[in-house]
Amino acid sequence: MTDLIRILIAPLVWLAAFSAIYGLHGLICGHGIEGAALGLPMPRLLLIMAYTVAVLLQAILLAALYHPRLASSSNFVSFVSHATGWTGLVATGWSLLPVVMTSYCT
Amino acid sequence: MNALERHRKLTAIWASEPGWRGWFSTVNHTDLGRMFLVTAFFFFIIGGLLAMLIRAQLATPQSAFAGPEIYNQIFTMHGTIMMFLFAIPTFEGLAIYLLPKLLGTRDLAFPRLTAYGFWCYVFGGTMLLVAMVLGIAPDGGWFMYPPLSGPLYSPGINTDFWLIGITFVEISAIAAAVEITVSILKYRAPGMSLDKMPIFAWYALITALMILTGFPPLILGSILLEVERAFGLPFFQAELGGDSLLWQHLFWLFGHPEVYIIFLPAAGVISTVLPVMCRTTLLGYGWIVAAAVSLAFLSFGLWVHHMFTTGIPHMGLAFFSAASTLVAVPTGVQIFAWIGTIWKGRPELRLPMLHILGFFATFVIGGLTGVMVAVVPFDWQAHDTAFITAHLHYVLFGGFVFPIFAGVYYWLPHFTGRRRFFHLGELAFALVFIGFHVTFLAMHWVGLLGQRRRIPTYAPEDGWTAINLISSVGSFVLAIGIGMILIDVILHALTAARGRRNPWQAGTLEWAMITPPPAYNFASLPHVTSREPLADTPDLAVQLARGEGYLATPRHGWRETLTVDVASGRPDMHVLYPTNTRLPIIMSAVTGLFFLSLLLKFYWTVPLAVAGVAYLAWRWVWVLGRKEDLDALPVGHGITLPNAAMTDHSPGWWGTVFLLTANATFFGSLLFGFAFLWTVAPGWPPPAWFVASPVELGFGILGAALGCFAIGHAIVVNRRNGSPLPGLVLTLAGALAVAVACAAMMARTPSPEAHAYGATLFVLGSYGLFHAVLGALMASFLIARVLHGFTSSMRRAEFTIVGLWVGYLSVVGTLVLLAGHLPGLAS
Repeated sequence: MTDLIRILIAPLVWLAAFSAIYGLHGLICGHGIEGAALGLPMPRLLLIMAYTVAVLLQAILLAALYHPRLASSSNFVSFVSHATGWTGLVATGWSLLPVVMTSYCT
Repeated sequence: MNALERHRKLTAIWASEPGWRGWFSTVNHTDLGRMFLVTAFFFFIIGGLLAMLIRAQLATPQSAFAGPEIYNQIFTMHGTIMMFLFAIPTFEGLAIYLLPKLLGTRDLAFPRLTAYGFWCYVFGGTMLLVAMVLGIAPDGGWFMYPPLSGPLYSPGINTDFWLIGITFVEISAIAAAVEITVSILKYRAPGMSLDKMPIFAWYALITALMILTGFPPLILGSILLEVERAFGLPFFQAELGGDSLLWQHLFWLFGHPEVYIIFLPAAGVISTVLPVMCRTTLLGYGWIVAAAVSLAFLSFGLWVHHMFTTGIPHMGLAFFSAASTLVAVPTGVQIFAWIGTIWKGRPELRLPMLHILGFFATFVIGGLTGVMVAVVPFDWQAHDTAFITAHLHYVLFGGFVFPIFAGVYYWLPHFTGRRRFFHLGELAFALVFIGFHVTFLAMHWVGLLGQRRRIPTYAPEDGWTAINLISSVGSFVLAIGIGMILIDVILHALTAARGRRNPWQAGTLEWAMITPPPAYNFASLPHVTSREPLADTPDLAVQLARGEGYLATPRHGWRETLTVDVASGRPDMHVLYPTNTRLPIIMSAVTGLFFLSLLLKFYWTVPLAVAGVAYLAWRWVWVLGRKEDLDALPVGHGITLPNAAMTDHSPGWWGTVFLLTANATFFGSLLFGFAFLWTVAPGWPPPAWFVASPVELGFGILGAALGCFAIGHAIVVNRRNGSPLPGLVLTLAGALAVAVACAAMMARTPSPEAHAYGATLFVLGSYGLFHAVLGALMASFLIARVLHGFTSSMRRAEFTIVGLWVGYLSVVGTLVLLAGHLPGLAS
């Protein structure tokens, strides 16, 4: 079961992060959150912070999958978990990139 | 014991009842896999005939062939049948038939569940066909959008047939998914570690996990819409705090992964058949597994790309557009791995290979138009036009039907033990390929010229006449081709000469047996050391027949197999299967009575049906087990294994884990729906909030905690040879306390008909109440089992299974009560 988790964890975290940030976006627009901080509108700042956390989490996860103490003893599982780990990182970086690029509630 | 004697003894133990009576009592995966496939192809023919009617209607402008009311039923039933009654059941049938043979075992994990799922599929599908024959078939399109499908605009019974019939059929899909998942993880030949699993098993595992997490949102949506239609709870009515977009979210949370649920098993067929046709091994096995896993997950992040025109903010659109383009990458990895496999091998243009080439050409075009519609501005132009219809047919026909035809021809000698005599198949392939592309290339074109989907007719001055006529001619060529394939297969089954074993010289285990396969699959179970055991040991079938594998000696009339550790493939449990029984068909008939009562609004029979299902479920488990401990049993090669009933993590425990995964997805979707309505729907806040009660909340949460603690205590005490009864009684009390708290919440909920807030709380309460009653029933069952001597410190498997359910009840019961009471407490 642990080996399966190694394979599935990174895409699962992407799915959770993707859903959470989409939900956060819905909350921001639904409740009309306004204001500004650090020179950015509050909605944009919140979304960028969530995006950064998600990318960092994926990076940490990927590093953990490569770490000898946490890696699988099976070469095959290691290979697949590394590949899905990279998938999680790239998917998080790419699919949530719109938080820094597009208008948020129009 | 010689091979023939072993064969006779095993056949006597494993065979189904002779003749047609055996159909109703068989629990054998080979029988049920065949039954699934034959039924699925029956529905394919019906769906295909409906497609011909659609094309007949659209062949000429202002056609009087069918009126709009009938036409609506035709296209709705075509989509519904192809998606729910053909594609998914074909995967289930193929997986049920093949997996134990590919994995080197004797049957699937839960044979009676296989049979129950099959009969639910047959009865549910029949409900829809009866509706069609009576002219009251669903008519709201296969995705049944409210408000069109709501009580105001679709007041008849047509939509109810869809909502209730499809939910009934989905029981079959969930049952098969649990079955397939546990079978692949646990029921493999000794030595078959994850890296030695046949590639089809990986695809089937991923698909089954997707079904477990993809289908619950649709089941929830169907229940909510049916409750709205039957009882007036306004989940999708904007004027009462509902939102029709909630349906679209729930539907496409299922609907987009559904595309990959259909494609991935077909990709599994390609990955299995292609290397054999190319006389080589699969290139990039690890890459393909990683790509399939990635594809499965990414597919859950695409659902909004079906909703680009619903007014969602740009950022939301951009998330899903980006994810939609990303999905092309793992798909591309698989395509390139297959091309590489062809490149490194020596391709032989035999019939399965022709269909694989048909798949390549068609699916790649479908994938490219998929990338086009993933781009928002293009989708705004093409949305709801015939271009989309053409795109989805390229993906589904290219990505499923061609590979399945390849699989049918590849495994036909296995199904029948014969070799093809008539060679209609090659001509049939040519007609299918040409007919398909003429039909749907033309449809792209007419879609770009502006023809909408689902229109019953058009005017001559629209300028679509010639293209539609070409498309219709193509579709009839396609139909003739498919008809010829069916005739070819039937002729093969009835008249062809006996074939030799393993006619393709394949390396996978399903060919290491006599064909057609015996009921027990393998006379003794193989020890696997590579991905292609037959390639390494060409006389493996003979060795196994001689009894040189595991479990070679039949004993006590038992249907025996063994399970393995998930990762390493090391044997870990001995399993005894139940024998032939009519319990599954009876239980599915009673389940059908429940759905039929809801459909026909005979509400007085609903409690009867529920009680019937509960009684049969009780009996289902009661007939298993024994009143004496079983010592560890020798299974061959000097290994002894504990029986599954003497372990904490029995197959039932594994099945429960995955069933609860689906259940948790259902509950998560319900919470999502609640949050969505609260945040996005117009008409909020509601006119009245639920009045919180700290006493009820505290009582329920204490009950949940008590149940969880008590079942844990009972498990520990039982293992130490003490009496688990006090713990079980407290578990029962805890479950009843949750039931009381949830019932009280439902009773005091603001009028569920007046606003979506009350409606959602009522459904949340019902969910909590249902699970509390279920938990109480399970605790009572376990008490009865203890009192009748079915358990001991060794026979403990049932405790951990009930433990999982009670733990789940504790979590969801607490969340339900918090969701109901917290807003009131906060205000």
